Amino acid sequence: MIEVKEIEKKYGRKKILKGVSFTANKGEITCLIGLNGVGKTTILNAIMALTPINKGQILIDGEPLKEKTFEKITFIPDAITMLPQMKIAEAMEFMKDFYTCWNQDRATELLGFFRLNKDDRISSLSKGNTAKVNLLLGLALDVDYVLMDEPFSGIDMFSREEIANVFTSHLIENRGVIITTHEIGDIEHLIDKVVLIDNGLVTKEFNAEEARENEGKSVIDVMREVYIG
Amino acid sequence: MKNYLKLVNFEFNRVAKLFVVLLGITFVVQMLGVFFEAKKYLDMANQQIYEEMVPKAQFLQMYGQMSFMEVVRSAWFLAPIALCVAGVAFYIFLIWYRDWVGKNTFIYRLLMLPTTRLNIFYAKITTILVMTFGLVAFQIILLPIEKWIFNGMIPIEFRNDMGLIEVVTSMPELSLIIPNSLLQLVLYYGAGLLAVSILFTGILLERSFKWKGIFAGLLYGAIAVVVFISPLLLQDFVLDGFFYPIELFMIEIVMGLILLVASIWLSGFLLKKKITV
Repeated sequence: MIEVKEIEKKYGRKKILKGVSFTANKGEITCLIGLNGVGKTTILNAIMALTPINKGQILIDGEPLKEKTFEKITFIPDAITMLPQMKIAEAMEFMKDFYTCWNQDRATELLGFFRLNKDDRISSLSKGNTAKVNLLLGLALDVDYVLMDEPFSGIDMFSREEIANVFTSHLIENRGVIITTHEIGDIEHLIDKVVLIDNGLVTKEFNAEEARENEGKSVIDVMREVYIG
Repeated sequence: MKNYLKLVNFEFNRVAKLFVVLLGITFVVQMLGVFFEAKKYLDMANQQIYEEMVPKAQFLQMYGQMSFMEVVRSAWFLAPIALCVAGVAFYIFLIWYRDWVGKNTFIYRLLMLPTTRLNIFYAKITTILVMTFGLVAFQIILLPIEKWIFNGMIPIEFRNDMGLIEVVTSMPELSLIIPNSLLQLVLYYGAGLLAVSILFTGILLERSFKWKGIFAGLLYGAIAVVVFISPLLLQDFVLDGFFYPIELFMIEIVMGLILLVASIWLSGFLLKKKITV
């Protein structure tokens, strides 16, 4: 389980996160939702120790993040994390070199799934294909937790569909996923848990399935209630 | 250790093109220098001896023999060295900043590797060292080849033969990069390593605290310089020459080591706790 406890983050004098707390379980897809600039990306960066927090604590399976935790959790940011001059095959080789949890079979499967050519240079790829390579590099790691930042942003409809299909496949099964997205429509039916963030705080945390069954409300309905009133 | 070596290999491959270009420029420009400098002297000798009919002995009395030193003192020889120094100095900054800038944020990947983040620091500093030693080694290989070509062009009676060691020791610029003794090598390159580690720490302070980090980096650099030269200042102004030169030398070595360890520790702390993507 990923536990985010009362985290606070300031940029200069501006407090972006004012005590955010939530948990994300293994085997569940947790979606962080909020308007632009509420600190969704900052939360993911903080979980991966890519930005320091001013207060609070983050635990992964009960422990603070250590170097070996990166064999257990991965982050797929909204920009590719490999050098543009690399070919896809070279990027895969890099991952294989450094991560013992790299799963070559799964990488090959994802290559086929996304219809990518491993000899293509990253710099020559379209935005959609670059996002797919980014996903491939993250999902081919045998990790327990995957964090994804806006995997659908600025991507064409067909690529979005392909990426959404990943969530229903065995590629995600049994993993804990935290995802931030604006395009809630693409994955609304796949989300287990929703964490609504506004003004640096968690305004609501709920189970999407329960809201649907008990209150007859979709995620968008609940969002409307919270944000518009 | 394995991850450190993999990172060094990876970092060096990233700079390989620039490295080869610097080697190529050094080779071509210095070779042209040997050719043109020797030709200039030969043209002058030919004109004086065969056109102006100046006797050979008189020519040598008037203009003297040519030594390899003249080639080494020319811009043909020194400009590529200056370019290499500038290239390495530039790359000290680029090696960090290239991972942050642009839409391909490679720093995310580096910081998420399942290895201690100090390995990134060690790999980058090792790359700078390997690059520097590579360029120096290439210069050491080039020198005898250049002298051989020079000797082939200038006839022996017009040539003032100087040993390569003599050439290097009589040029302060050259003896800095090609030290005369092991002790000097350790001192010069140790000081270089220390300077690069302090610069790296300054860069990491900037990357961690942005504007405030620039001031912190400058302050850290200034403090490091003051700490390093404090024994010399004390010796001169307070202790009135209390230490023997060898004692002062040892104190300076210890000061250098303390600063190196402090820079590595601070860089490790910043990479682990304060760095921001």
